[in-house]
Amino acid sequence: MTTKELIENLSLKPLSKFDHREITGVFVSDMLSDVMAGAKSGDIWVTVQTHKSIIPAANLVDVSAVVITSKKQVPPDTSDLASKHGIALLWTELPTFEFVGKLYALGLMTT
Amino acid sequence: MPDCQHQWEMTHIEFGFLIFEKCSQPYSLRTYFSEKSHPMLGEKYRDGKCDWTVMENAQSFLFDLKCKKCNLLEDFRNVMGFMYCTGCLPDCEVEILQRKYESEKKWVVVAFGFLPKDREHAIPAEKLKILEDYFNQRRDTSRSTIAVLSYDLIEDFSRCKGDFIHDVGMLSLEPPGEKKTPF
Repeated sequence: MTTKELIENLSLKPLSKFDHREITGVFVSDMLSDVMAGAKSGDIWVTVQTHKSIIPAANLVDVSAVVITSKKQVPPDTSDLASKHGIALLWTELPTFEFVGKLYALGLMTT
Repeated sequence: MPDCQHQWEMTHIEFGFLIFEKCSQPYSLRTYFSEKSHPMLGEKYRDGKCDWTVMENAQSFLFDLKCKKCNLLEDFRNVMGFMYCTGCLPDCEVEILQRKYESEKKWVVVAFGFLPKDREHAIPAEKLKILEDYFNQRRDTSRSTIAVLSYDLIEDFSRCKGDFIHDVGMLSLEPPGEKKTPF
């Protein structure tokens, strides 16, 4: 599945400029240290964290997208930094649990 | 295996807390890793000539890298973390390199050893190269690459507004406020 298909399937709102790419798995965490140690290249990272530090972490581990759940407001400097790095920053009003359930139903899982 | 084209993976991951302490007069910084959280932010205590203040208590991790092919183990316990350069100081070597690399889609992170900077905590160039290889081997490098720079390039930490990639305030019952530099 690609980020384009994910956005269309789950009505996600893109908050940054990026090129679509393949999604290979899912990583769910609100801790940067957890992501740095455990996320894999191509994963989508599901979080409620919106501070701009999420973008360097996402870039370092090469996730395919960051999905902000639970209607969390994303500061402009976070979406600007995501655009600068070409990181897909996506937004949903769904709570994390519900969103992850939909990912599972689409066949996406932890790698 | 001297001819091995190493393929690195993270191993021996140890989660814990990174404690930042500052002495105002004379200005000095020190950091250490602890398995346990330091509950007393702002606490002051006397040690030698300095009155040390606990500035930050961030959740972080230590790790080593191991080659998947030949099992060579490289010790990275002296890496306290990574910092994203915010471009705060135009004359800083890190920012100069960051500007240079940006057109090549090469993104810069600064690898930090524990403070104060000394021979024990310095990260040798060959270790920085291994870190760079680790991050680049696991990404699609046709889109972008990672450059890992040494914290030695930052001349004056007291002026640096870089953003550490670690977790602050995650154990607090209060919602996190604006993230501040621990320097």
